[in-house]
Amino acid sequence: MDNTSVVPLHQKEREATRRLRKRRFKSNLPLLIMFTPVVLYFVIFKYVPMGGLIIAFKDYNFYDGVLNSPWVGLHYFEQLFQDPRTLEIIRNTFVLSLLSIVFGFPVPIILAIMLNEVRNMMFKRTVQTIVYMPHFLSWVIIAMMIMTMFSLENGLINKFVELFFGEPYPFMYNNGSWIAVFISSGIWKDMGFNAIIFLAALTTIDPSLYEAASMDGASKGKQIFHITLPGIRSTIILLLILSMGRVMEVGFDQVYMLQNSNVNEIADVISTYIYRTGLQGAQFSLTTAMGMFESLVAFVLVVGANYIARKYNEGLW
Amino acid sequence: MRASRGEKLFYMINYVLLSLIALSCIVPLMNVIALSLSDANAIMSGKVSLLPVGWTLYSFESLFKGTPILNAFWNSVEITIIGTILSLVVTIMAAYPLSRRQFYARSFFTMAMVFTMIFSGGLIPTYLVVAKLGLVNSYYALWLPGLASAYNVLIMRTYFSNIPYELDEAARIDGCGELRILFNIMLPLSKPVLATIALFYGVGFWNAFMSVMIYINDTAKYNMTVLVQNMIKSTSMVQDFSDPDMIANLTPDGIRAAAVIVMVIPILLVYPFLQKYFVKGVMLGSIKG
Repeated sequence: MDNTSVVPLHQKEREATRRLRKRRFKSNLPLLIMFTPVVLYFVIFKYVPMGGLIIAFKDYNFYDGVLNSPWVGLHYFEQLFQDPRTLEIIRNTFVLSLLSIVFGFPVPIILAIMLNEVRNMMFKRTVQTIVYMPHFLSWVIIAMMIMTMFSLENGLINKFVELFFGEPYPFMYNNGSWIAVFISSGIWKDMGFNAIIFLAALTTIDPSLYEAASMDGASKGKQIFHITLPGIRSTIILLLILSMGRVMEVGFDQVYMLQNSNVNEIADVISTYIYRTGLQGAQFSLTTAMGMFESLVAFVLVVGANYIARKYNEGLW
Repeated sequence: MRASRGEKLFYMINYVLLSLIALSCIVPLMNVIALSLSDANAIMSGKVSLLPVGWTLYSFESLFKGTPILNAFWNSVEITIIGTILSLVVTIMAAYPLSRRQFYARSFFTMAMVFTMIFSGGLIPTYLVVAKLGLVNSYYALWLPGLASAYNVLIMRTYFSNIPYELDEAARIDGCGELRILFNIMLPLSKPVLATIALFYGVGFWNAFMSVMIYINDTAKYNMTVLVQNMIKSTSMVQDFSDPDMIANLTPDGIRAAAVIVMVIPILLVYPFLQKYFVKGVMLGSIKG
């Protein structure tokens, strides 16, 4: 006898969804087990520290811990924005990272376009292999190279300077030249690696566009401005949004290793301040306030940049 | 198609500029190599530029005999290998479920993860968590807080979800469970992305500096980056002055250069093999998702 024929239709449907749900749960179970440690990781090491930001509004001490330390409201934020020294540190961070973006952002794009125009594949691959490499070296190595190259005694670059101007120049000890060395070393380290993504974008441009333009007598420069750059527009905007998140961020390693006491007034940034004053000086609440300010500005900039990009249909989310 | 005169000029300038850029990446390295292999007199009188003057291995000898660089080298190896394996495993554990269509709440978890990319608790609150867990002065303090980067999880997730769903379905009909699908289908097909992400994590751990400075107090546990940085900062870096012959042939510049070479060599050794993978991997990252 056929049983199913007597069961009402809606019950049969319910039965089917129940079975489907069961099957879904069955295939979800191993995934959930696999995912649990991941959730734990993100909660413990990412979201709990976000909660820990409350100590910026408290007078944190070891005995009372994060939860029981007394509230002080905006005391530490007021202190940050009144002390000329911390204002100087905030300014330094802005200046260094802004200069890094303004000068550093176009370089990988230009490099990618230059590499894209190379017809000799051997040459192209060799240059690529070489320029990608500094990205993988630690700042300890690069800082050491820089200090050797710019050294007043026997530095390779200062030997040339001496040759042309008679005496070596103290690159690492003057504010202006220190900033120049800082910015260009950052650009130098990552230009090759950052060019990869633009090179990938360039391969998606239809080569027949160049042929047609060349046929119509467009010069190389015109081709680059009217075909190449529009062709990688969305990649450029995407990366520009992402770089906005770093406006408040100057990599600790780079600054820490390049700075010296002569240039402290322009080379001390938020990350080195937090390390020195927070961890070494145990001023947890004050430096957490500083860190929170940094995170918030970065967050607003990324969200804002994305909001603007979305108006041109190029948003990240 | 023949190149016009303007185009020829363009190509020529392009080749020259690219050669100069490549040179700028090679010259500093050659300078350091030359310094590490030159004798003290040549270094101090400033004769060394791109080639070693007065070949000698004294700098390396005194580096290995007089400083704990070998110990630091093995510490770096330990930090890198275990850290990379842990991070890779957790990244797979995060990316695979997020790439499955049937996974509960996958968009919620993805959003929650992306949020950690654009907002963070920062250094001090993270330090307090690590300290509370009693991880200070142990390598777990280096491995755990940076276990999986959301960015790498997204790259891997995109790669997994681009593997044709038919493969997945066929395996399911043949009775494969989720784990079999992951191990027998997904991972073998994902070698490029696994290699890329392993490389990113590996380089990160090998070059770890700030985290070691923050969390490791015991100097015997220092890795090479921190040890070499300390050597660069201090003037007396060699503790063992038993060999007078050695002192006469020693310059700080030479030893620093030798230390840098010891740090660079492992990266240069694996770099050519991994290059094709990381280029692919970065391109994967450019896919919006």
